Amino acid sequence: MTELTIKNLHMQFSGVVALDDVSFNVDKGEIFSLIGPNGSGKSTLFNCINRFNDPQKGQIVFEGHNLLKMQPHQIMNAGIARTFQNIQNVPFMTILDNILLGAHHRIDNRSTIQRWLSRKQRQKEEAMGLEILDLLGIANYESKYMIGQPFGIQKLTEIARALVAKPKLILMDEPAAGMNDQETYEIAKIITEIRDDLGITVLVVEHDMSLVMSISDRICVLDSGNILAIGEPEEVKNHPDVIKAFLGDPADA
Amino acid sequence: MKKIIGLFIMLGLVFVGCGKQAPTPGVTDTEIIIGNIQDLSGPMKELGAVLPSGSNVYFRYINEAGGVHGRKIKMLVEDHQYNPQKAVVAAKKLIEKDQVFCLYHVIGTSPCEALRPILAETGTPLIAPATQSGTMSDMTRPAGNLIFHTDTGYDKQMVILVDYILKDNANAKIGIIYQDDDYGENVLKGASEAEASQGISIQKEAYQRGATDFAGQVGNMIKGGATHVIIAGVVKEPIIVMKTAAAMGYSPKFFGTSPTMDHRVSLAAGPAGEGFISANFANLWNSDASSAVKYRELCAQYEVPKAYMGMYHFYGYITAKVLVEGLKRAGKNLTRERLINGLETLNKWDSGAFPPITYNSKDHAGTESVILVQVKDGVQTVITDWID
Amino acid sequence: MKGRYEDENLYWIPLLIGFVLLLPFLLQSATFSYKYYLFVLNMAGIYIILTVGLDLLSGYTGLISLGHGAFLAIGAYTSAILVDQAGISFFISLIISPLIAGLFGFVIGFPALRITGMYLGLTTMGFGFIVKRLIIAFREWTHGAGGLDVSSPVLFGYTIKSDWDNYYLIYTCVILAIFAGRRLAKSKIGRAFMAIRDSEQAAEASGINLAKYKMLAFFISGLFAGFAGVLFAHTSHFISTDHFDMLLSIYFIIMVLVGGAGSIYGAVLGTLFIVLLDNLYVPMIEDWIHSFMNTNAGDIQSLIFGLIMFLFIIFQPMGLYGMWLKLRIYWKIFPFNPRKRFT
Repeated sequence: MTELTIKNLHMQFSGVVALDDVSFNVDKGEIFSLIGPNGSGKSTLFNCINRFNDPQKGQIVFEGHNLLKMQPHQIMNAGIARTFQNIQNVPFMTILDNILLGAHHRIDNRSTIQRWLSRKQRQKEEAMGLEILDLLGIANYESKYMIGQPFGIQKLTEIARALVAKPKLILMDEPAAGMNDQETYEIAKIITEIRDDLGITVLVVEHDMSLVMSISDRICVLDSGNILAIGEPEEVKNHPDVIKAFLGDPADA
Repeated sequence: MKKIIGLFIMLGLVFVGCGKQAPTPGVTDTEIIIGNIQDLSGPMKELGAVLPSGSNVYFRYINEAGGVHGRKIKMLVEDHQYNPQKAVVAAKKLIEKDQVFCLYHVIGTSPCEALRPILAETGTPLIAPATQSGTMSDMTRPAGNLIFHTDTGYDKQMVILVDYILKDNANAKIGIIYQDDDYGENVLKGASEAEASQGISIQKEAYQRGATDFAGQVGNMIKGGATHVIIAGVVKEPIIVMKTAAAMGYSPKFFGTSPTMDHRVSLAAGPAGEGFISANFANLWNSDASSAVKYRELCAQYEVPKAYMGMYHFYGYITAKVLVEGLKRAGKNLTRERLINGLETLNKWDSGAFPPITYNSKDHAGTESVILVQVKDGVQTVITDWID
Repeated sequence: MKGRYEDENLYWIPLLIGFVLLLPFLLQSATFSYKYYLFVLNMAGIYIILTVGLDLLSGYTGLISLGHGAFLAIGAYTSAILVDQAGISFFISLIISPLIAGLFGFVIGFPALRITGMYLGLTTMGFGFIVKRLIIAFREWTHGAGGLDVSSPVLFGYTIKSDWDNYYLIYTCVILAIFAGRRLAKSKIGRAFMAIRDSEQAAEASGINLAKYKMLAFFISGLFAGFAGVLFAHTSHFISTDHFDMLLSIYFIIMVLVGGAGSIYGAVLGTLFIVLLDNLYVPMIEDWIHSFMNTNAGDIQSLIFGLIMFLFIIFQPMGLYGMWLKLRIYWKIFPFNPRKRFT
């Protein structure tokens, strides 16, 4: 069942074409990877879905809603959460508070007022974040301040912040960037868990090929704003255009 | 827990004061402590050192002659940066901590106005506030009975100036350039009183306190066709206005309220300031008035710096004389009550520089008249007697 | 029941409140001039209410305001006019006047949607001048620049007159303001504010409406300042445009920065530090210098103040609250060379 549809998306920054007529579908419960060299338009595509960028042409439809008609902050309400490549967090806030930031739209105004005097209400709110912390295996970090935490913890908090929103689709921008093999393995495990246990569709941009190949259901290869290939990992790996783009044309060598 | 006890002890130590409350604050057998709050680091700081220095010339003279009823006068000076809130804090410190007998010569209209609640609460008199705002002698306001004003109000000055202009020149078009604060507020009050009584309309142009560019105001005066311009500024404003007007080829007759009386105006304005007439609430410091002669004599004797000497220094000197007269009349057994009663016995009392001062229980305005001083060949010359 | 997540120890808060309530008695027994200290503390209290709000705006949300004196003025003048001229009770004015100041905050929030940093500072500073003009222009009610006498507050039939009464009125409000500030800062609103400050992208991706929350920050901040303004007007009994000059607004920002921006307790400590320094300690140091050196008062007052501020910023860039946190960690890990932790 198709969850996210991207149709004829065209985006250019004052003459530089970032996305040129990109179309693909993401099915529900899928791990869908976007790969491609730097500047191929992967992050631009994410920013289009997130509404940080305004594409000139095309459509983005999520569960029947036209995302292009929404404001950036409404995307979360539609059910799409996001993590960032360069970590975006609040250093002088505890890790739990950083995570609860993602739960913003789950907390209504009434409980915001109630929690002033009600400890129970506060604990209910905190439980939302603690649940995710336990899930990601970083319990006991909740009261620590974000500043000075190791990179791996910051990355996981980023994922936790996206998860606590209970999204239907999660956009992950290079979750394994700057991580060692062990950590990358952990991330891979978490991504599959997110899909398997929580039933969340994952759209991931990644450079680490082994990670992409091992977890993805389908892969889309972008190059200079064009789709080179879409398909299952094996299919994409052997696609001649992909080999050419990534390894260079054998004829040139 | 240990930390909290430590905190208590620390704070306790911080607040420990010293001394014991005297029956009448600030009065001992040998000393009277009075408080003065000046603008020492704010927009009027050029007066901050001058005024208390002038007062101290007289206090020193009195102290060297044995003091008032055997008590020497000691003046404490605080800074308020022309900020009413700071003035209140300073007054609170002087009254509660330093236990002064009275406040004296506090400068600025809004700082003095802001002191009213504290004066009323503690019953501390304020003698000779260093502002000519007519609001100071409003007996209906809080602490009205505790404030003794020595100067003729700005509102009254405006009425006198307008009268003076219209007497010689019935068709004069009058304009005023005023400061947009409490000072200007009182000037405006006088202007509208004059408008009502004379049946004329006055062109009014405001400037911000601290402004140094008056081309706009002068331009508007030219447009309005004012033939007589009253400058309600302090020292630098009349200088700049007159120079700007001269540069723009505009030459009305210029007048000024009492703060423009300083001799530096005529010095700095040069030819542009020739003929400038300012209303003066006291006689000139270099005149032949009895206080002025004595003042110059004492200044020479105490080697007061030449730069200090001038109208404002003299102002400090003569208000000190008023205070001392009040203290003398209060008698040997000095209390705040007696000081007030003593001052209220002043009836057409001649200070030797101010117009005759009269106080009674219903009127603390003191004086109602000014003399006009004109700049002639760069020298300030008295051109009228006391007029009101 | 103790929750798993505790970001602070709360056991000392009742002790602190007890201390605040007992302080006047302590002062009275310690010194006869306690009224002066109470007065300075009252002033600090009023400013604390304002700086807690300013901290929510500038420290938490990262929107600098150099015109907060204007909100104080709005609260003060509104309440003075409502109570003394319209005959509304003080208690109701205590609710209405902050709301009006908050609405002004809402309006000044509009430019904040587009501009940030120093430009916003200049805009808010301009707002301060506009408010001053407005106060002078509405001469009929405000007496122009001449200032306004304000009556004493009457609460439930009891007239609050002396410094002593004022202290309890003000510090009840201070405790409420700190409580409200803490609760706000720890709620979803506070998290949204901090996210806006540190990463607008993360905030938007988390579903935070930037425009709404920036306006809300200005509104809340105006609310606190207006509240402080009401207390200011009715406890100082005289207000004029000179009370609310630009320098005061800059003082407020300094208080927040010295305390440590982005922490409610920081704002409280910073305000206490600056107000007590400026009004108690500097005059004390000055009097002491006077005892052996003959200078004019005030000549050195600004100098001492400036010097202390200068040294403080050089040696404590993290503010007072940061200093306190360092101290706490120092005690916790005492034997293990704590010196290098913060270098």
